[in-house]
Amino acid sequence: MVAEKTTNEMYQVGKSIPKVDAREKVLGRAQYIAELTRPNMLFGAMLQSPYAHARIIAYDTTAAEKVTGVKCVLTGDDFEDHKMGPFIKDEGAIAKGKVRYMGEPVACVAAEDEETARAAALLINVEYEELPTVLSPEAALEAGAAVLHEDLADYFKVFEAIAENNLMSYTEISEGDVDKAWDECDLIVENVYETQAQNHLSLEPCGALAEVEPDGLINLWSANQSVFRVQANVCECLGLPMSRVRSMTPKVGAGFGNKMEAHIQPLCVALALATKRPVKMILSREEDFETVRARHPFKIRCKTGVKKDGTFVAREVELLLDGGAFADDSPGVLGNATLMSVGPYHFPHAKAFGKVAYTNHLRFAAFRGFGNPQVTFAGEAQINDIADKLGIDPIDLRLKNVLAKGQQWFGGQKVDSNGIYECLEKVRVSSDWDNKRKNSGENGIGISVAGHISGLLATGAIVRMLEDGTFVLNTGATDIGQGSDTVLTQICAEALQIPIDRIRTATPDTDASPYNWGTTASRVTYTTGRAVVGAAEDAVRQIKDYAAIVLESLADDLELREGGMVGIKGANKEVSFFEIAAMTHWGVGGPIVGSHTLVFDQSTIDPKRAVAKGMPFTNIGVFTFAAMVSEVAINQVTGKASAEGAWYAVDVGQAINPGLVEGQIDGGYAQGLGYALFEEMIWDDGRLANPTLMDYKVPGTAEVPYDIDTTIVEHPEPDGPFGAKGVGEITLVTVPASICNAITHASGVRLRKMPFSPERVLNGIIENEIT
Amino acid sequence: MTEAGYFDPVSVDEVVALLAADDEAKCVAGGASLVAMMNARLVEPSRLVSLRHVEELKKIETAEDGWLQIGALVRHCDVAIADELADGNQILSQAASLIANPVIRDMGTIGGSVGHFDPAADYPVALSALGAEIEIASEKGRRRIPVSNFFVDWYETALEPGDLITCIRVPPPPTGSTGIYEKLAKVKGDLGIAMVAVIMAMQGDAVSHLAVSVGGCGPKPIRLPEAEQALIGGSIDEAAIQDLVGKLSTASDPVDDVRASAAYRKLLIPRLVAQAIGQAKVNLRDGS
Repeated sequence: MVAEKTTNEMYQVGKSIPKVDAREKVLGRAQYIAELTRPNMLFGAMLQSPYAHARIIAYDTTAAEKVTGVKCVLTGDDFEDHKMGPFIKDEGAIAKGKVRYMGEPVACVAAEDEETARAAALLINVEYEELPTVLSPEAALEAGAAVLHEDLADYFKVFEAIAENNLMSYTEISEGDVDKAWDECDLIVENVYETQAQNHLSLEPCGALAEVEPDGLINLWSANQSVFRVQANVCECLGLPMSRVRSMTPKVGAGFGNKMEAHIQPLCVALALATKRPVKMILSREEDFETVRARHPFKIRCKTGVKKDGTFVAREVELLLDGGAFADDSPGVLGNATLMSVGPYHFPHAKAFGKVAYTNHLRFAAFRGFGNPQVTFAGEAQINDIADKLGIDPIDLRLKNVLAKGQQWFGGQKVDSNGIYECLEKVRVSSDWDNKRKNSGENGIGISVAGHISGLLATGAIVRMLEDGTFVLNTGATDIGQGSDTVLTQICAEALQIPIDRIRTATPDTDASPYNWGTTASRVTYTTGRAVVGAAEDAVRQIKDYAAIVLESLADDLELREGGMVGIKGANKEVSFFEIAAMTHWGVGGPIVGSHTLVFDQSTIDPKRAVAKGMPFTNIGVFTFAAMVSEVAINQVTGKASAEGAWYAVDVGQAINPGLVEGQIDGGYAQGLGYALFEEMIWDDGRLANPTLMDYKVPGTAEVPYDIDTTIVEHPEPDGPFGAKGVGEITLVTVPASICNAITHASGVRLRKMPFSPERVLNGIIENEIT
Repeated sequence: MTEAGYFDPVSVDEVVALLAADDEAKCVAGGASLVAMMNARLVEPSRLVSLRHVEELKKIETAEDGWLQIGALVRHCDVAIADELADGNQILSQAASLIANPVIRDMGTIGGSVGHFDPAADYPVALSALGAEIEIASEKGRRRIPVSNFFVDWYETALEPGDLITCIRVPPPPTGSTGIYEKLAKVKGDLGIAMVAVIMAMQGDAVSHLAVSVGGCGPKPIRLPEAEQALIGGSIDEAAIQDLVGKLSTASDPVDDVRASAAYRKLLIPRLVAQAIGQAKVNLRDGS
């Protein structure tokens, strides 16, 4: 169903125009990293660790080096001891001294073709001394557990990390006085919830291509979510100045957090530097599963206290995360999960705290939702249990307690745009909630709501007028397939009042683009969109100054007119962008370049209101909201739950492109459905047992309901571009909880462990039959 | 593998001669499993013998003894719509229609699937219920092996080096029989967590034919002919069903794997079988 456009009369914003790169993609002409080639190019391959934790004693590379076509073999001995990491700098380009997870790259090869490189890599002999492993956060935090990072205390950290031995980070936020508040409650519910590891499963596996220019500049193309994070990571772990690496991007075949920080880029650059020839490395699906990153498994203790009438009083949440072998984004995920633990509700008393531990697993890191789907599953499942115990309709209970206008988020940040109440009301109607809830047929329905952040960090935009009055927009933001190039073009076109086809969006390039932290944190539309509006306004100011000369008027008396004209308000006299461009290029002033940069600066924690420890960030973002209803059917023989329907209402501030908002909803739903029902990375004593699409199952067209109903709610964000805020993650956050609640409605079974497999549902059904 | 290792024979005799000459040779038909395994470097055949031009292997025909012979090269998509499979034998079509996805079904062949023998695959359990035979050719000549002896252990069959499956032989269906094929998979098209095939016929209220096979719950399909026989002539009431499903569950030997636990499969077998038999009774009563 196509989302209906709501109230606005704007020129380019609010229109479901096709993606600007749709045609090249549909025709199969768009180029992704695996399709790029350079003259004289070599192929890289890697050798992976067969142990989860072992000391590296020695390498023997002679057999590999003798293979015809092999140009270079690198091991940890060939790398200086530099480290990278977005929060804790604990990770080198390759294992050095020891390996910390099974599958970790320990050596790499460059050869004339991929077959030779892969075959040669397997001929490298590495002598190991096995070390005791820690394969769960509980085991990692036990006294006397084998320590992964002996030098943790000395590592550089970008925040005041509470870290020691295998404790990577501890975060705590509290408001009010939870310990005293339990006495005020009429009902207290406490449960433990568990979630599993999920693979990002971008259609495109990770890959990179590096080339050293004669002057020493390194050109680096890769599948990424940020050319700037690639540049920073490569330079940090190889000890290079950032001015020496030019990071670029071809089209990207999706990123869900997996391509934000480094993957194979540092090894690829090292091989190119060593061979002085271009080197391309493309991970196989198995290597991608085993070496990139995944969603954190959580253990969550959630305790909620309420009054008889349903008024929320207190919540306490304790988290324990498996962080894997390297910190990567783990401290951030823990911080965000802590912040999201209370949900979009007003609790006078709340406390959330948790630990993330190093283990001998693959690193866990950013993944669409960034710790929020896990805590939302726990919190929203528990609220349904409370509704059942109190005999209150689950939507009514939520309506009673969601953040009202003017109320702050947990921690104290103000919430300007807040459509959560409206989202709940809309989805109640669209899903026919009241009828479906009454009719207890075979199917069940479940509700969940969530808030999520949209924002973070620095971004910039440059709007350049070309000689003919058309424009180039350059933001450095990677379009990972979600359509940000289209959305930013629409924002720019709106601000300039010109047709879309008069704007070319430049591809990200660290040599040419203004800084952009990345395509992550649901931030490009909101954060980069703000920069685009600022840069366009800067250009418009200059255009009006020149138009004032031509029109013999004051700039303040001028207005932009649709189609690239500037006119005098109330008069017919006008001048075109074409004329202004010609004038500035050839006669007066100089070509017009508008620019704007910003860093997101709203404080997350208000110290007058909340106490926080170990917070990994200070300014995370504005808030976006969603409510969703899921319908499931349960097979009473097998216990298998299948999705039968989904209804969303999402507050996006302002839909820049409603069709693309709907795309984010559909995609977030499908990925969330897989997470809820069957996706799970399974480890067998340190070895990932299902690193293939044969054994790791994601939903296909048969598993996703045909019609995902979407309602776009628009409560404008005051400083958002035309009121917009992000939508990339919130659409996944609500899915597991709503499915879980629907399963309970259908079967009476309350599951507290994901995924909601047939086995878990059937065991629940049988248990209920017995009791 | 080089191009020199690829052969394109046109007759069964040529194929078996090529296989006899090289123990590491593999036949390639649809390539659904073999090519994936080669890509994953699990197998590296020294030579590939293509079967695509061996016309004999593409036929579905009724033999003189009345058995239906489905050539080894018949694709899943064609088994799924084969009119020759009637009454209870339709379980083979049902099984074929649930294999993987349309692309795989358009390429994969029944001979390839049977020879590869993944115990979680669909054909073995259906063929077991049918009491089918596998016809095999080698340089020594042709022989037929009942499926109960053909499927030996995980990924292990009675095939010997140099053997080629020529056809799958299916006996005529019992008069008035119906067939039910049930499969539980994580997602549509995945290998099954558990499968059940039932062929049943009744005369009045009495069971005249019953075959029940369980797949995905051990190294090979589970059939208990004695337990089935005990129900012949009876009215197959709830107690009789419970007796049979209990024995099947006991006889099963599932393992924990990435799809489900052994304990769940043990739990599932009685439920799936009882459901399938119940459905078979309904079909027979309704005449469908």
